[in-house]
Amino acid sequence: MSNQTILVKEDAAVPENLGDPAWIRIRDLIYQVSGIYQAENKFYLLVSRANRRMKVVGARSPREYLEFLTARPNRDSEMRNLLNEITIGETCLFRSLPQIDALRKVVIPSVAEAKKKLSFTKLRFWSAGCSTGEEPYTLAMLLMEETQTTLKGWTFEIVATDLNDRSVAKAQEGIYNDYAVRNVPPEFMSKYFIKSGTDFRVADSVRPHITFTRLNLLDDSKMLFMRGLDAVFCCNVLIYFDGKSKGRTVQHFYNALLPNGYFFLGHSESLFGINETFRLVHFPGATAYWKPSEAVTKAGAP
Amino acid sequence: MRTESLDRLRTRITSIDAMPAIPVILRPLLRCLDQPVEQIDIDKIVELVSYDKSIAAQCLRIANSALFMRNAPAETVRSAVMSLGMWRVRDLLFSNSLSQVIPAKRWVVDPAVFWRHSLGVALVCRKLAEMIEYPDPEKAYLAGLLHDIGVIVNCMVAGEDFRVASEKAAREQIPLDEAEQATLGFTHNDTGRILADAWKIPADIGEAIELHHQVGDPQRGGPLVALVHLSDLLCRMRDLGYGYYEPRQIDFANEPGWLYLTMQFPYLAEIDFARFTFALDEYAKEVSDLVAAVFSS
Repeated sequence: MSNQTILVKEDAAVPENLGDPAWIRIRDLIYQVSGIYQAENKFYLLVSRANRRMKVVGARSPREYLEFLTARPNRDSEMRNLLNEITIGETCLFRSLPQIDALRKVVIPSVAEAKKKLSFTKLRFWSAGCSTGEEPYTLAMLLMEETQTTLKGWTFEIVATDLNDRSVAKAQEGIYNDYAVRNVPPEFMSKYFIKSGTDFRVADSVRPHITFTRLNLLDDSKMLFMRGLDAVFCCNVLIYFDGKSKGRTVQHFYNALLPNGYFFLGHSESLFGINETFRLVHFPGATAYWKPSEAVTKAGAP
Repeated sequence: MRTESLDRLRTRITSIDAMPAIPVILRPLLRCLDQPVEQIDIDKIVELVSYDKSIAAQCLRIANSALFMRNAPAETVRSAVMSLGMWRVRDLLFSNSLSQVIPAKRWVVDPAVFWRHSLGVALVCRKLAEMIEYPDPEKAYLAGLLHDIGVIVNCMVAGEDFRVASEKAAREQIPLDEAEQATLGFTHNDTGRILADAWKIPADIGEAIELHHQVGDPQRGGPLVALVHLSDLLCRMRDLGYGYYEPRQIDFANEPGWLYLTMQFPYLAEIDFARFTFALDEYAKEVSDLVAAVFSS
C-alpha cells in the first residue's frame, strides 16, 4: 500500500521533458504493440512512468529511450517493463465506473432479455486474466445486486482465470487493502466487505458465485472448453501477446461467447487490426466488442 | 417534420419578436474564416477581437491563464491572438457572440453545458472530416458548432415549455428531440433550421442543423448531415453531451450516417475508430477548459 501511495505522489509532479515530441512516437509505438492508447491529456502519467524506466536503463532523453524500445537487442523486454509500469495500479475493485454503468444499464438488461426469450435464467461471465481477483469480485457484487432487484429469480456464475498460480491463490483469499477498495461505493462496501484489521475481506455470500482456476489463454486445448458465456473481460492481458497470439486468443473469446455476448478490454485498449468479427460498440464513456446475433450480422453487414 | 408544417412553424416563430438577431460580429467572422487557413488574415481577426471590449479582455485573460501562457505574458490583443492560436480565438469569438444573442436569464439549459457540447461536436466534426478527406473541414466545423442552435431559439420562443422538455429528456434519459416532439410538438432541429435561414447561413449547414437526428433520407442532406450526426452521437458517448446519462449502445458502423459516408468516402472504413474515440478524451479536456474560461467571467 505504501508503495502505491508514493507512486501516486510521483505521478502528480509534472516531468520536465513532458513537451518532448518523442513522447508522441513512444505513445504510438505503445499503441501499435499493445493496443493501449494514452490520450494526450493523460500524458503526464505515461511520461512520469516512462521516466522511471529511463532512469533504470540510463536513457538521457525520450528520444534515446525510444531507441531502447526499438533498436536495442532487449527492446521486447524493455517494452514489457514499460507496459508493466503503465498498467500498475489499474487493478482495483470497481475500477471503471463508466464500464460498470454500461454493464448495469445496458449490457446486463440486453443480455438478460435475449436469454429470457429462450427461457434461460442464468448468466455466465468470464474474467480472463483475473489477477488477484478484483475484477471477478466486482462483477459478482454487481450481479448479486441485479439478481436481488431487476433480475429476481436469475442465477449467475463467474469464471475467473489467471496464468499465475500465486495470483489465483491471492484472489481466492479475497482480502484487500484500503487502496484496492477506494472506488467501491459505500453501499457495496457495507454489504459485501468485512473489516479485518486494516484490510477488507470479501463477504462469504459473494464467494460461491466465483470459480477460480489457473488457465493459460494460449493453451488452445483448454480454451476450446470455454463456451456459453454472456460476457468476457480481459483487461491488460493481450497487451503482452504478439500479434498472432492476440488474434488466436480473441478468436477463442469470440467462440466462447453466445450470440449477443460482449467482450470488454481494459481502459483505452483496442482490438484494431486484431479481429474483424467483433463489432466495436460505444456506451457513454466506455467501449466494448460485441458478438452480433445472427440476424443482425446479416442485416448490418456493410 | 414535413415541409408545410415547417413553414407554419416558421411563420409562427418569425412573427414573434423574440427571434434572436444575428450577432454583429458573426457575419464578418464567417466571411473571414471562409477561406483556406494559410490565407486567413490575422490582422482582420485581431480587428474583430478588438471590436468587442469584453471579448478582447477575455482573449487576454485566457492567453495569460496557466493553461496557455507561453514564455512572456501577452499584453496586446495581437499577442494574445498569436498565443492562443487562430482556432481557439475563433472558438472564443463564436461561443461568445452566440452566447450573447439571448440574455443570460433566458437560458433554459446551462449555457456552459450547451457550448461544451457544441464546441465538442464542432471539433470532432472537423477531425472526422479531415480523416475521411471531406473537401471542406472548416464547413464541417461550423455545421457542428451550429447544429443545436435551435436550442437557443427554443429558449426564446418556448421558455418554460422548453424547460419541461429538457428536464423530461434528462429525467427519462432520452434524446432531447424526442422530448421536444412530445412536449412542444416541434424540435430544436426545426427551429434551428428556421434561424439558420433567417441568418442566411449556407443551405447545406442549414440542412445539417435540420436533419442531424434523421439521417438516412438520401434525397435530403449530403455528407455534412451524416458528419454532424455521427459527431453528435460520438460526443454524447464521450462526456461531451448534455450532461445526463443515455443508456444505449451505439454500433457506429451500422448507423445510417456511417453507411452513407462510407459509400462516398472510402477512408472511413479504414479509420481506427477505437483510437479515434480514445483521442476524443483529449478534446473533452480542452473544450471544458475553454468553456470554463469563457463562463468564469
